[in-house]
Amino acid sequence: MDMRFSPDELAFRDQVRAFLQDELDPGLARKVRLHQHLTKAEMEGWHEKLNARGWLAGNWPLEFGGAGWSAIQRHIFEEESARAHAPRVVPFGIAMLGPVLQKFGSPDQQDHWLPRILNGDDWWCQGYSEPGAGSDLAGLRCRAERQGDHYVVNGQKTWTTLGQHANMIFCLVRTSTEGKKQEGISFLLIDMTTPGVTVRPIVLLDGTAEVNEVFFDDVKVPVENLVGEENQGWTYAKYLLTHERTNIAGVGFATAALDNLRRIAGAQIHRGRPLAEDPLFASEIAAVEIELMAMSTTNLRMLSAAAQGQAPGIESSMLKIKGTQIRQRLDALTRRAYGGWAMALPVPGNEDPEDADEVLSATATWLNNRKLSIYGGSNEIQRGIIAGALAKG
Amino acid sequence: MDFQLSDDHRMLQDSLRGILTRHTGEALWPALVEAGVPAALLTEAEGGFDGSGAAVALIFEEMGRAGVALPLIPTMIAAAAFAQAGQPADEGASHAFADAEPGARYDRGVAISADGDCLTGRKTMVAGAEDAAAFLVTTADAMWRVEAGAAGLALRPYPMLDGQRGADLTLEGTPALRLGSLTDFAVPLARGVLAHSAYALGCITASVELTLDYLRTRKQFGQPLIAFQALAHRAADLAVEVEQARSAVVNLASHLDDEAPLRDRHLQACKVTVGRVARLVAEEAVQLHGGIGMTEEYALAGHVRRLLAADTAMGDADWHLDRFARGEPAWS
Ligand SMILES: Cc1cc2nc3c(=O)[nH]c(=O)nc-3n(C[C@H](O)[C@H](O)[C@H](O)COP(=O)(O)OP(=O)(O)OC[C@H]3O[C@@H](n4cnc5c(N)ncnc54)[C@H](O)[C@@H]3O)c2cc1C
Repeated sequence: MDMRFSPDELAFRDQVRAFLQDELDPGLARKVRLHQHLTKAEMEGWHEKLNARGWLAGNWPLEFGGAGWSAIQRHIFEEESARAHAPRVVPFGIAMLGPVLQKFGSPDQQDHWLPRILNGDDWWCQGYSEPGAGSDLAGLRCRAERQGDHYVVNGQKTWTTLGQHANMIFCLVRTSTEGKKQEGISFLLIDMTTPGVTVRPIVLLDGTAEVNEVFFDDVKVPVENLVGEENQGWTYAKYLLTHERTNIAGVGFATAALDNLRRIAGAQIHRGRPLAEDPLFASEIAAVEIELMAMSTTNLRMLSAAAQGQAPGIESSMLKIKGTQIRQRLDALTRRAYGGWAMALPVPGNEDPEDADEVLSATATWLNNRKLSIYGGSNEIQRGIIAGALAKG
Repeated sequence: MDFQLSDDHRMLQDSLRGILTRHTGEALWPALVEAGVPAALLTEAEGGFDGSGAAVALIFEEMGRAGVALPLIPTMIAAAAFAQAGQPADEGASHAFADAEPGARYDRGVAISADGDCLTGRKTMVAGAEDAAAFLVTTADAMWRVEAGAAGLALRPYPMLDGQRGADLTLEGTPALRLGSLTDFAVPLARGVLAHSAYALGCITASVELTLDYLRTRKQFGQPLIAFQALAHRAADLAVEVEQARSAVVNLASHLDDEAPLRDRHLQACKVTVGRVARLVAEEAVQLHGGIGMTEEYALAGHVRRLLAADTAMGDADWHLDRFARGEPAWS
């Protein structure tokens, strides 16, 4: 057993640090640290810098223009980026659709769409969930009917993250109502500028609209936008989910949040002293830190098992649960660290209390990060997966 | 032993419920004043007609359920404090309580100080500041009255987490009237804590009811969510905690007029219990709803934010737990 990074991995980490040092604008990093919503241009700008360095798609193989990183390299990149408060790579094109097209797409689809993802020509969003199909995703009803060389799509998607910026959406649609519900689903790429597509924002608890409803009314989609085979979409979706769940532990995000909490606790006054010196509060911070220490190693153990070719099973479910619990606990402690100062409503660009943007950010982050345990397969669904595997023995 | 409401209080509850269903927005405050609700929060000596723990608890639980965002709590605390200090009553006026200071959690006198009869410094999260006729202001160990529009007083208003409007106060040599020491006003302050706790209890019950309704009606995998035992047990845990919160409120309401040490222990225990349950319910109600629980459009959103605010107001669960453990009084 050797828990240390290899010399190559350490050298890679130094490269990542140097890159972040040179390329990451402090103003942008501050926005990320305060959990403020970035503009489309800010996200695209960061993608451009990464792409220029060949690092935008760390998870893609070299042949498709990716960086071809190992799981450990990806982990290092993600952790360093999060600690430096770099914007995260928007996952929909790079982390989700890319791997599906590489595995199941036609050569034409690969040639057309993959370079466009890297160059930022398309902004993708994920059209899986529907009002009636959340945890029970296979219950989805948005219909695609084949008519000649087109599909005609009717129905609704919801919770579509950053759909307001997107020109393309990859959707799970129902192409058959026969047999098991998983067997009538297809994976379709839809141009959102097609007539009949309507996007409506959903305002969340923190007052911002990062998710949307997307409506399809007789939307014509060329058949060449079908990925793989008709009615095989569920298989591709499950494959995609395994990619959605890499970096699921969010160790880097948690580490950044812990650093932030410590800084705040060092500055807020409690009984005339810094809050960080208060034994009650300090022990709460310590308890989360201890959890994080163990989880980072759980994460690395599972990454290295995956790197040695072991098929990922319930590990990603475990990391999802523990990782989101830790982050939500840190968010709660950060809000509590401000005590009576944390009672204002975070409204971007509105009237606000003096010197309080970090306080508002603590509240906004608490509110917004409730999503961590809901999306990407809720924590209850993850427990179900673990329990199901344990029951089989 | 009788935990039922008295006839008078039942009538008060009925009339309050009626008002809360009929009036919203700007019309609500005058309707409440007309129905004597602010006066019900004060004793006869304070210019009201009740002021009992039971009245305060029942009024604010209804307010919390309905999600009313009015500066009724600061008005109650200030009116009681002013009356106690022999100030003339100002019926129908609203007041503000300037207590919290930036960067100081719940410490007082960190960002503000007194020089003779003038105050200089900052206060923050002052609910109802824009409409206040007068401010009740705390310093390290004293309670002060500052008139709206006093020299050197500036307001920076903004929306608050609970739907009210609040403000930062900057005071620069602002003339103020010293009303007494903080501990002199332990009873009005205790009533304020009771009000916040009862208000939170109203939000807690409303949130849990919404959650249960949703679990019974929302179907996934062909079944109502409540049919999944993992969720049903979480709902059961919430139901247990709601009763704990209610009992903590009852404890404080019943000991409001007792001697300081006993009242303070119940005050601290109430804020700790209700604060913790409020946090739990805020998290669990959203989680059990799934995505819909995170949306502004759904009725839960306001409750979640009000739950956070109610825990934070006048010392959160952490702060009161610390003082309870040390055997300290509620205010010093
Ligand atoms: C901020 C945000 C962003 C999102 N972004 C996207 C996106 O870009 N694209 C997209 O397609 N989707 C997205 N989603 C949707 C997300 O995947 C769903 O919210 C999630 O699958 C849960 O579905 P639901 O909200 O319908 O809740 P439900 O499925 O109705 O669940 C409600 C509650 O019941 C629990 N539950 C459900 N079934 C069971 C069971 N069998 N056993 C035990 N408990 C159960 C859930 O865990 C939850 O607590 C997003 C959601 C959010 C909140």
